[in-house]
Amino acid sequence: MKVKSGQIAITVVSILLGIILAIQFKTVNSTVGEGVLPVQRAQQLAVDLKKAQEERDAAIKALNEAENKIKQYEKGEADNNIYVENLYRDLEKYRILAGYVDLEGPGIVLEIHEPPADVQFGIEYSIVDDLDLILQTISVLNAAQAEAISINDQRYTAYTEIERAGNHIEVNGVSISSPIVIRAIGDPETLESALSIKRGIIWTLRYYDYNVYLSKEKNIRIPKYRKLIEFVYSQPVEDEVN
Amino acid sequence: MKKWNNANLIIFTFSILLGIIIAIQFKQNISYIAPVTLSSIQATRNEINALNKEIEELNAMLKDRQAKIEMLESIASGDENIIDILQSELERNKLIAGFKKVEGPGIVIKMEDNLSEDAFGQEYDLDIIHDADVLRIINDLRAAGAEAISINEQRVLSISEIKCGGPIIRINGRSIATPFYIKAIGDPKLLSAAVNAPNTYGYALKYIDQLNIETSIEESITIPGYMGSASFRYAKPIKEGD
Repeated sequence: MKVKSGQIAITVVSILLGIILAIQFKTVNSTVGEGVLPVQRAQQLAVDLKKAQEERDAAIKALNEAENKIKQYEKGEADNNIYVENLYRDLEKYRILAGYVDLEGPGIVLEIHEPPADVQFGIEYSIVDDLDLILQTISVLNAAQAEAISINDQRYTAYTEIERAGNHIEVNGVSISSPIVIRAIGDPETLESALSIKRGIIWTLRYYDYNVYLSKEKNIRIPKYRKLIEFVYSQPVEDEVN
Repeated sequence: MKKWNNANLIIFTFSILLGIIIAIQFKQNISYIAPVTLSSIQATRNEINALNKEIEELNAMLKDRQAKIEMLESIASGDENIIDILQSELERNKLIAGFKKVEGPGIVIKMEDNLSEDAFGQEYDLDIIHDADVLRIINDLRAAGAEAISINEQRVLSISEIKCGGPIIRINGRSIATPFYIKAIGDPKLLSAAVNAPNTYGYALKYIDQLNIETSIEESITIPGYMGSASFRYAKPIKEGD
């Protein structure tokens, strides 16, 4: 039988396809792991992730229990003695300032959602590229005398960094993802108008196409900071009259 | 038109068959085939790493709190005094909250506007230091583990605003002007890298925007405590049992 030119073409294409598939499999194997299908690997990772999350939740629970216990002891002692009571109240104030107490009160909630994908030009960007806008938002809230601030339930403290890690954000070393939810306790009116002033933060965010929702709320809860700060380099200097 | 030959018929049938088989395959395993890309596997892996780091931090804190409980429990046996315990806890929280003068090794960053006549920018706006620049530098210093930070002798805390106010920058309710001296206590090598290493924000400010930024590592830096008074009018600690 005579070989037609069409058959030759199909043979060549088939061989090419085979080679491409083989290369693809080799590449995937070398990046994901020998003999492991990406699907299996992903399932394994999902299980690990869930386990880690459960472990974290358990640790948080244990920590809360321990702190409640401490509080009870301290309070119990404070009721007996006026001097101890004053001392305790002072301690509580600085604990709040350091960020080690859960707080609630009136304030605002600011939600920043990713901009919709630009269909026409295919330009995509996310809040991950605009971290300085989050920093500025916090600065504006502080200028409006916010008393406590959290970003996606991570307390903002004097040690809090907001960092880019790949294509997500880490706050207090915890990875968070869009939408960014910033909560602040303070005078709701002041906080709101400070953010929504013309050419202010919200204006800027909307200018860059972010979907921004701002709402005043009567009761906002801000969780405590869950990291132990121990100074290695700094020594207190005792020459102030405090 | 040519008569349909055998080969055409076979290809036609097989195409239809292939289509049906693919359709069935998709329908059946829709949840199993959930798109797994290499980058999503990497993202999950990063998340697990972040979680493990968080768990480590939580455990460190839990250990600290358990030591505290033990201490409080030994009050009953008369080994410890509640006043001493509260006093030391108060000192510690004051230190962490930033109300104490501290000293230690670290770096001093001097930031000054671009003063040369043939300045970089077409607009003068680009030649001066803005609040966002200072915020980014401070964020980078925190990420590098800075224990205490001050700008022109104003301690930077979680409640400190850093805000442009025309020719000056306002921090802690006070005005400061260029040159800005940012002091940070911590590991000098890490802190210095956080502003000088290529691809950091400090590096970009220095070499692209050509602002005058000088860093010097120092053996001993003194950073004052926060001088304002902090009171909470809106925020209340969350009561137990809620």
